[in-house]
Amino acid sequence: MKLLVIEDEPSLLKAVVEFFTQEDFLCESAGSYKEGIRKIEDFQYDCIILDINLPGGSGLELLKYLRRNKNSDGVIIISARDSLDDKIAGLDLGADDYITKPFHMSELNARVKALIRRKYGQGKNILELGSLTIDVLSRTAHIDQHPLMLTKNEYDLLLFLVTNKNRVVSRQAIAEHLFGEEANNLSSFDFVYSHIKNLKRKFKEKGADDLIQTVYGLGYKIII
Amino acid sequence: MNKTLQQKNTQNLFTRLLIILLVGSLLFYVLMRMQARHMQRKQLELSQLNMWNAFVHQRGIMPAHVYGEYDIVESSNALPQWLNDPRDTTLYYANQKQWHPFEIMTGRFHLNGKDYQVTTYVSSTEINHLIIKVFLVEAFIFVLLFVAVIYINRKTSAALWMPFRETMKKLNEFDITKKQPFEVPAQTGITEFNELNAVADNLVTKAKQAYHNQKQFVENASHEIQTPLAIIRSKLELLINQPGMTEKTAGLLADITEANERLSQMNRNLLLLAKIENNQFPAKGPVDLSVLLNKIIDTYQLHYEERFPSISKYIQQNVSITANPSLIEILINNLVRNAIIHNIPSGFIRVELNSNAFKIWNSGPALEMAPEQLFERFRKGNDEVKSTGLGLALVKQICQLYDFKLDYHYAGETHEITVIFDET
Repeated sequence: MKLLVIEDEPSLLKAVVEFFTQEDFLCESAGSYKEGIRKIEDFQYDCIILDINLPGGSGLELLKYLRRNKNSDGVIIISARDSLDDKIAGLDLGADDYITKPFHMSELNARVKALIRRKYGQGKNILELGSLTIDVLSRTAHIDQHPLMLTKNEYDLLLFLVTNKNRVVSRQAIAEHLFGEEANNLSSFDFVYSHIKNLKRKFKEKGADDLIQTVYGLGYKIII
Repeated sequence: MNKTLQQKNTQNLFTRLLIILLVGSLLFYVLMRMQARHMQRKQLELSQLNMWNAFVHQRGIMPAHVYGEYDIVESSNALPQWLNDPRDTTLYYANQKQWHPFEIMTGRFHLNGKDYQVTTYVSSTEINHLIIKVFLVEAFIFVLLFVAVIYINRKTSAALWMPFRETMKKLNEFDITKKQPFEVPAQTGITEFNELNAVADNLVTKAKQAYHNQKQFVENASHEIQTPLAIIRSKLELLINQPGMTEKTAGLLADITEANERLSQMNRNLLLLAKIENNQFPAKGPVDLSVLLNKIIDTYQLHYEERFPSISKYIQQNVSITANPSLIEILINNLVRNAIIHNIPSGFIRVELNSNAFKIWNSGPALEMAPEQLFERFRKGNDEVKSTGLGLALVKQICQLYDFKLDYHYAGETHEITVIFDET
């Protein structure tokens, strides 16, 4: 999978590239509008992560340019400006998704994976993870063909963890993924904890112990 | 003790004008008396001369005494000095059975080696009556003058202070948090008030500028802080996935992550506050509050599951207002979340929605701060919830933007918050 990250903040750019390289993406990076245009012209990408505020031009302009040239690469816009106008403009211009700064890497990862699944992975609507299978179309999960009865929150949590498999996902990232931006208070961490507990219990009933690991006070991860 | 300028003015006039008028009247009376005395003296002197001349020319024919007119007496006695001055006396008129006041004066004349004393009489009654009448007329005119001066003074001062009152009203109504113009006339017709208006205008302009700068600063600062926060967050996520982490390191990272999250949240809310203040949410549209409220409550119920407080809903259908949908969602969401977070174990929530008000009640301990501070920034309750302290400040800001009335009451261990959309 080829990924292009266009972001003017070098430190953030480096972090995103490092993260997605760990996720086995082939990552290219661009730090300005011009560099972005050049990379787009030269190569085809599965997904472009695009910052709106760029030196030399707006990310929205770049998106316009991209769509004008019938380039259908998936685009996720990131911006510090969490204004509705940017979001609407971005989606109108043909962006596939929108995420605001500061974001969680695991959240961006989930968005990228979902985008790639939607756009290119017709055959990949079934995620397999050892004995666990998830059908993202019917929103169901099985362990060794035994269906798991999951609530909406539990399913979303499971999918989020599976998308970020082999990584520690912080409680904050989970809380925000499940409950939105306003979720950040102690009680929502308690909910994350109770949802995890329920998930673990349901896995155990189906004989899949230790699928979800708790990492001290930090968060959780799923390991194959 | 403070009084209005008009009262003060009237009071001043009352005492001072009264004294002046009283002194003036007294002076007038004294002068009139003196004038009358002078006139009587001249009359008596003239009459003395006339009588003596008549007596000399018609000697033997003219009587020596006419009651109430004159007496001519032959006397060689030296005339005491005081007799030659007018003096008071009274004469009895038997037919009227009345005493009448008179002024008399005596003069000394010589005829054929004999001395005569001529005393003439003039009645005081008429002149006394005249003095009283003139004085009364004067007193009446003075009273009229007094009343007129006070009346005119009050009238003109009321008219004179009009521009001042107008400016005061404008200053009083001016609210810096609202984007309203401050306009006072530059020309009032009175130099002092022109100056006052110019100073007020200048002051308001400066205050507006300072307020604007402060708002701008908060927005710019929040905006600039976003990128470093994003960097910290992304690096932390890379860090927690490093292999070979000890439990101690993980604990430290957990604390840093949590602190960073709170910082992000606070920053996001500050930015939102600044944006609302700067009126950057112009997009308006109809918002169905009934649907929105139900949706928000359902979402929270889903999240909180069995720990959600018991809830009673009285939601009228199809309640709709015109506003920015995102802001209204924040408003309702923050109030509902506030009621859930600041509740007690197995507490309750009650919501009520009708076409002109939204009310929410929740059980909870009394505030440790003054109720009017509840909606200020960074005011936090007494419980251990790690909130940003900006949720209710946002509620207040949104209410202010749309002219909603926001009320808080606490009674019987129950908090009550009311948002009135339309006061009519």
